[in-house]
Amino acid sequence: MERARMSAAPLPLVDKEQLRRPYPTGRLLDGKPRAILFDASACIGCRQCVEACKDWNELPRGDHYAIGGSTWLTIEPPVLEGIGSVWGRNSCMHCEYPVCAAVCPVEAITKYDEGPVVIDPAVCIGCEYCIYACPWHVIAKNDVTGRATKCTMCADRLSDGKQPFCVQACPVDALAFGLADEVLGQAAARAEEVGATLYGQREAGGTHVLHVLTHPLAAHGMPPVSLERYPRHHIPLGAKLKGLLTLTGGLSGKWRAVTNAVTKPWRLKYRYWQRPEGANGGP
Amino acid sequence: MAVVAPPAELFPATRHTPLPGGYMGKLLRVDLSAGRCQEVNLPEEPILRRLWGGQALATYILLHDLPLDAGPFSEDSPIVLMTGPITGTGLTPGGTKMTSIFLSPATERTLGRAATSGFWAVALKAAGYDGLIITGRADRPTYLYLDNGRAELRDALRVWGKGTRQTEDMLRAEVGRQDARVACIGPAGENLVRAAMLANDYNHFASHGAGAVMGAKKLKAIVARGTRRPPLHDKAALIAAGERWRNTLNVYRSEQRHDVGHGASWGAITRHNWRATIIEEGHTEGFKDNRITQRPCFQCGRLCPWDVELTSGDHAGTIGHFDAGSEWLDTFFNLDIRGNDVLYLSERINDLGIECSHFADGAGLAFEAWEKGLLGPDRTDGLTLTWGDTGTVDRLLEMCAHREGWLGNLLADGPRELAEALGGDALKWVVHTKGGTPAQHEWRPMIGNMLRELVASGGMKPQGGGSNSPPPDLRYRESWGPLDPRQPEGWAWSHLISEQYRQASGLMGACWFAMSQMKPDGLNSMVDALNATTGWDVTLDEMLDAGHRSILLQSIFGTQRGWRAEDDWTDVGPRFLEPIPDGKYAGFTIASFLPGLIHEYYRLSGRDEHSGRPFQDTLKRFGLEEFMEWSEPE
Repeated sequence: MERARMSAAPLPLVDKEQLRRPYPTGRLLDGKPRAILFDASACIGCRQCVEACKDWNELPRGDHYAIGGSTWLTIEPPVLEGIGSVWGRNSCMHCEYPVCAAVCPVEAITKYDEGPVVIDPAVCIGCEYCIYACPWHVIAKNDVTGRATKCTMCADRLSDGKQPFCVQACPVDALAFGLADEVLGQAAARAEEVGATLYGQREAGGTHVLHVLTHPLAAHGMPPVSLERYPRHHIPLGAKLKGLLTLTGGLSGKWRAVTNAVTKPWRLKYRYWQRPEGANGGP
Repeated sequence: MAVVAPPAELFPATRHTPLPGGYMGKLLRVDLSAGRCQEVNLPEEPILRRLWGGQALATYILLHDLPLDAGPFSEDSPIVLMTGPITGTGLTPGGTKMTSIFLSPATERTLGRAATSGFWAVALKAAGYDGLIITGRADRPTYLYLDNGRAELRDALRVWGKGTRQTEDMLRAEVGRQDARVACIGPAGENLVRAAMLANDYNHFASHGAGAVMGAKKLKAIVARGTRRPPLHDKAALIAAGERWRNTLNVYRSEQRHDVGHGASWGAITRHNWRATIIEEGHTEGFKDNRITQRPCFQCGRLCPWDVELTSGDHAGTIGHFDAGSEWLDTFFNLDIRGNDVLYLSERINDLGIECSHFADGAGLAFEAWEKGLLGPDRTDGLTLTWGDTGTVDRLLEMCAHREGWLGNLLADGPRELAEALGGDALKWVVHTKGGTPAQHEWRPMIGNMLRELVASGGMKPQGGGSNSPPPDLRYRESWGPLDPRQPEGWAWSHLISEQYRQASGLMGACWFAMSQMKPDGLNSMVDALNATTGWDVTLDEMLDAGHRSILLQSIFGTQRGWRAEDDWTDVGPRFLEPIPDGKYAGFTIASFLPGLIHEYYRLSGRDEHSGRPFQDTLKRFGLEEFMEWSEPE
């Protein structure tokens, strides 16, 4: 059987080199990186994690088969739990080099040392750049507020020393959470034990969600993603023009975007120009 | 005409009391005859505080809505479906319960209760309703579609005649919403098999004849979806209580599905129409090689429901969907079927929508009557009834679900009706309780469980059963035990207590399979979850009282329709009280403890032991004075 791409030699989940990060960074707790482990060999597709995500974040019930403003986590494929036997977990991967944050013109997205990539809805202007840039397509617009929303890795729980709510809800231990290096060890051991592959370790330059996958990527509903940091993406011209020429983001939003562009022009490369492959480092 | 005048405004046009947390605040009245749906407010807070929801609230509504002379299939005979405040919060295990209440078609004089878990009840609340009151009769096959506060009666002709699985798939596709949840009936319900089931979410089946009541109303299904969630009084406290509750769960393991089911825990199953009990290796042949997948209910970690893919036998490849119970297994063991054919037939009976003990005890009697020469091919449509023949049983299921021929029609009516039609000694071979049937397990070795089966409302799906010592959380007030499993002393009280907390579990909207009362914190965590959800300050004592109130309402409903406590030990199929024929319990029967044991139970619960009517003091204690005319005259 064709397997998902085999991992090469293990890489450190978090690159410690001091990069000039093109977005705000922060610290929630102790600065030690964490990661979520998803073990597809144990998942039974019950979607208790999906509903738990909705419960903690008080998102509306229903519509739980597709990522959207009211669903930040899905279990793939989108079929009833009684059908199917191979499952995947689809949500924010909490990239070590989050391209969503890099493209945000108003610095609404923060990368925390512990792993979470979090959108601040109060800062977001709804320009949709992040939605287009995300390699996993797991950012959506809230229908009511018009702001971008996604999984926060329960950053609000993390700062209290608690694990993400989806993880604590899993009834079959298909989800785990812990310090990134420990989770990586656990994931690698599990992958070896069941003859599975690791996903999320190297994609987009490394992420904070590791998947142990038993089947080809597509069967788990996961896309192949470039290993480079800040993977290349395409923000449609329409979205860019809309941001420039319409009232999107309001006057204060435009002022913030312009100020950012003027004071930190080196960040613009992620937003407005296509880059040659490998330009951003990474394997 | 209502039996008891309702309180001035049971469903207030304007609420005068705040709605407690956990409730959506709305019920939907559906009149199928008029094709009309009307939203009404949930009763005021004092009524909710006394009844909570589930069976008690639904029965209370039914007591005011159901005319005394209505039959189970009458146009004016409603079915009331009710959730509870913790249904669908998502933050506790077992917050999945929906209980539907109606006049039992099996007994025609006691309360019918069809309770189910899964996801449907959560979808009902997400659609905006705590419950439904459905009355009338549609003039053509219909289904009810509830979508975020919008209710619509739709044509169901396309799915009429279809099995429960196909109905669910087709209706979900038809409404075009993948997150829609379906509760439906199969051919058995359409053809008024008196114990037809209501099936939902593939794996869940509510018995007691709800399917037949829906069939009589030409209501094929109720499809629900929505995005709403109940408001919570104290979310953080609910998460904490839910976490404690989760820690008490007795989690199922897949390997348990390789066994003979519930009977494995005490070592007896129903075989050969209750004439053998010994478990043999062949009963589970092939089970351990089947592919088992656990299919838990909404946010519950108990992991009761399961799917199986058969990997051997004549029906290899069949996929079956089952819930917590294992009565299917005992159903077909009772007909001497073995191995994977049992699971194949279990899937068939669920797809057709027949309650399994109803079929098990009817078909078991038919096989025995054939064996003893009381039944011949003239009345079986030429079918030869050979014990253990899968093809024959498969055919009998079809005949029962479609009321085909003399035998199919009587299997649909029930074991007692079949015994009466067969005549002669068949009346001695039959198992039934008040015309219904006990849950299909070999209960006869166990005093508490037998008491439960006998005093249960309509003979089926009873609650309680007792334990030989009190639940740890009740030790502040209960100090009996350990009880002797072979002597009657103490079992009536033990059963009553267990009936109280099991009832209370359902009233709050919790599944009693997720209740671990014999573990420390098993009951306290549930009460704390209820309080965190609603903002109440319910105590364990009050929890038991709420359960007791529900028991009384159930009993008053029967009293109004001619049931007497004496029926519990006089209207019973004799085989159910015979000494156990073989195995480690050989010779044991609770018959010698009757009626004393049942008398004691009624006295302890504040009811007359002969009539079953509550004493006036009992009604006063539980705030049910409005039902005084149905009390036992002092």
